[in-house]
Amino acid sequence: MEQRSNTFLENASEALKNTEQAKRRDSMARLTPLLRSAAIEDVGDFESLRQQMKQVRQHSLDNLDHYLTQFEQEAVHNGNRVHFARDAEELNSIVLDICQQHDARRVVKGKSMVTEETGLNSFLQRAGLDVMETDLGEYIIQQAVETPSHIVTPALHKSAEEVRELFKDKHDLGPRELEDTTDMVAEARQVLREHFLKAEVGIIGANALIAENGYSMLVTNEGNGDLCANLPKTLIVCTTIDRLLPRAEDATAMLRLLARSATGQSQTAYTSFYSGPSRDGDVDGPQETHIVLLDNARSEMLTGDYREMLECIRCGACLNHCPIFTSVGGHAYGWVYPGPMGSVLTPLLTSLEQSNALPNACTSCGRCAEVCPADIPLPDLLRDLRHEETREKLSPSRWRLGLKLHAWVSQQPWLYRALTATIIPLLHLMGRRRGSFTRLPFASGWTSERNFPAPQGKTFMQLYKAGMKKPNE
Amino acid sequence: MSESARSEIFAKLRTASRGGSAEAIDRERQSLQSAPAPMPPATEVCEAFLINVLKNRGSIDCAAGRGETVKAVAQYLYQYFRSHRLVAGNDPRLAAMPWRDAGVLPRFGGIEAGEPVALSFAQLAVAETGAIVTYTGKANPAANNLLPQHHIVLVDRTDLVATQEQAWTRINQDMEKRGRPRGINFIAGPSSTADIEGQLVYGAHGPRSWHVILLGDTPADILARAHSAVT
Ligand code: SF4
Repeated sequence: MEQRSNTFLENASEALKNTEQAKRRDSMARLTPLLRSAAIEDVGDFESLRQQMKQVRQHSLDNLDHYLTQFEQEAVHNGNRVHFARDAEELNSIVLDICQQHDARRVVKGKSMVTEETGLNSFLQRAGLDVMETDLGEYIIQQAVETPSHIVTPALHKSAEEVRELFKDKHDLGPRELEDTTDMVAEARQVLREHFLKAEVGIIGANALIAENGYSMLVTNEGNGDLCANLPKTLIVCTTIDRLLPRAEDATAMLRLLARSATGQSQTAYTSFYSGPSRDGDVDGPQETHIVLLDNARSEMLTGDYREMLECIRCGACLNHCPIFTSVGGHAYGWVYPGPMGSVLTPLLTSLEQSNALPNACTSCGRCAEVCPADIPLPDLLRDLRHEETREKLSPSRWRLGLKLHAWVSQQPWLYRALTATIIPLLHLMGRRRGSFTRLPFASGWTSERNFPAPQGKTFMQLYKAGMKKPNE
Repeated sequence: MSESARSEIFAKLRTASRGGSAEAIDRERQSLQSAPAPMPPATEVCEAFLINVLKNRGSIDCAAGRGETVKAVAQYLYQYFRSHRLVAGNDPRLAAMPWRDAGVLPRFGGIEAGEPVALSFAQLAVAETGAIVTYTGKANPAANNLLPQHHIVLVDRTDLVATQEQAWTRINQDMEKRGRPRGINFIAGPSSTADIEGQLVYGAHGPRSWHVILLGDTPADILARAHSAVT
């Protein structure tokens, strides 16, 4: 997928012009936090639950080579072929090789952000394969030739009306009208059922890999991932090397938090653990199973300053609670992962040069860190990235100069006080009558959207000194 | 597979890892605290389970013995399909049921196109999440969970555990005895999607309806109690 992260500001203003989409985002932003908080209340002790998950995730990452070795051994013992891919291209060609070895023509896919990251679909399609997304949201945007706008609900930007028109255009509906959402879901179910039954290869992601027994865990509500895992003759699990958990029990904290944080459910309809190809006596299941483990900068993240980002469980809560994401939507971020988690991940997985606008898409309100079930300090990580951005001179030189000047003045108390003591009374006089400014030199970015309040006449230091002289008043 | 990709990735991971011995790592893992389970909606485990099944948008029933079980299944079939047929895996526990007494005609095997109802006998069930657990295999082909319109699941009261941790203790014991199943499926509700404008619709790809029948001795008014806790 072509990256457009650095035009975030332009993308965002473009997105704001679409008032219909903005309205739908608003209603999502009103509703999802309510659902989440009701569900989280129900677990009782959210804080100790997320601390427990953090401990387990940190322990797994601290000993990742150990657990990955164990997982590989167990997975091979279970009959899988395990592949390692350094980057997106390697993953894509491993998957294509497997498909070609089986002369496969049809592939069905469960939802997988990792394969969005590697651009697997278009790679396989260019090689002549018929690739069908089966998660309803992913299916909709695949038909519309668009990209996901949310990591959990990829077709969030689409209205029911748009979906109806899309199905009318792409499906052979005859006289059927698809009156409501139920009809549209039934239509997609029918069309996709055919694909499930015909596909030779199924591709799914994994929410976790269990080191002690080589199982991979898959969490869905639709059951589409499970159909991909059980019906085609060949199964390929694509995930990243950091998804390890020591034991199956260790997934419980994650499961107690994941659905509650994502959709407000206590658990998704399907939580499945798959170990490998079908056994003697099995009636169904794939004959051959592959697990492709992608690195793509994870090993660098492990040793770097942003390691905590590897603890993300992709619940989407930080998106739903972010004032920027909910205003401008996922597409403005210009790549695969949007919102606060995406603004941290994108620079790490691509480069800061290509995406330095994203860490600035933050008001530092802190809601994301508050709700994050993995307890990732997202605002801190974003601030560190902005710091790096300035250090590496990636931000516009005008900003950097301004910041430098500000820093220098702040470090000269006499000058700072002298300047504020001159400017503040002046602004006070100028703005006295109206109480605020509608225009100010050097602050048009502020005043174009809102008024700038006029200062009250004295600087903080002046008031402070006056107060110090009369301590007992 | 490119061997170099594997060794390169492992080399990087080794520099990042703490490099403790397997025993030390295991000791550290064992010292981690356990994850607190949420408060159950009722103190009695059967009731908590049934309440959570209802919350997951399943429907519930109870049956004391085999005779009542086949009757409960027959009633459900007749109510929704005016039919006597269903498909079920080759589970000896299902084969031993007196189906003819209730006029049910089960076909044992994997589900085929056009069969609307499948019956499974759960290996265990979890009160905490209102989930039933099946293992893939002859006794319960995976497609039987996924392809029918209605999925009926029998749960023996003695296979009911309170928490997810307890479920894993049971599953691990089963794996010790019988080896690792290809798939372990926790099912907590009918298949659903909210991908079109956030509106919840049931029957996305899997079953539209999910019916759980709890077998064995249960308090007489348990169904009523569970229903009143949810409405
Ligand atoms: S960063 Fe936290 S809140 Fe955001 S998706 Fe990841 S786990 Fe969820």
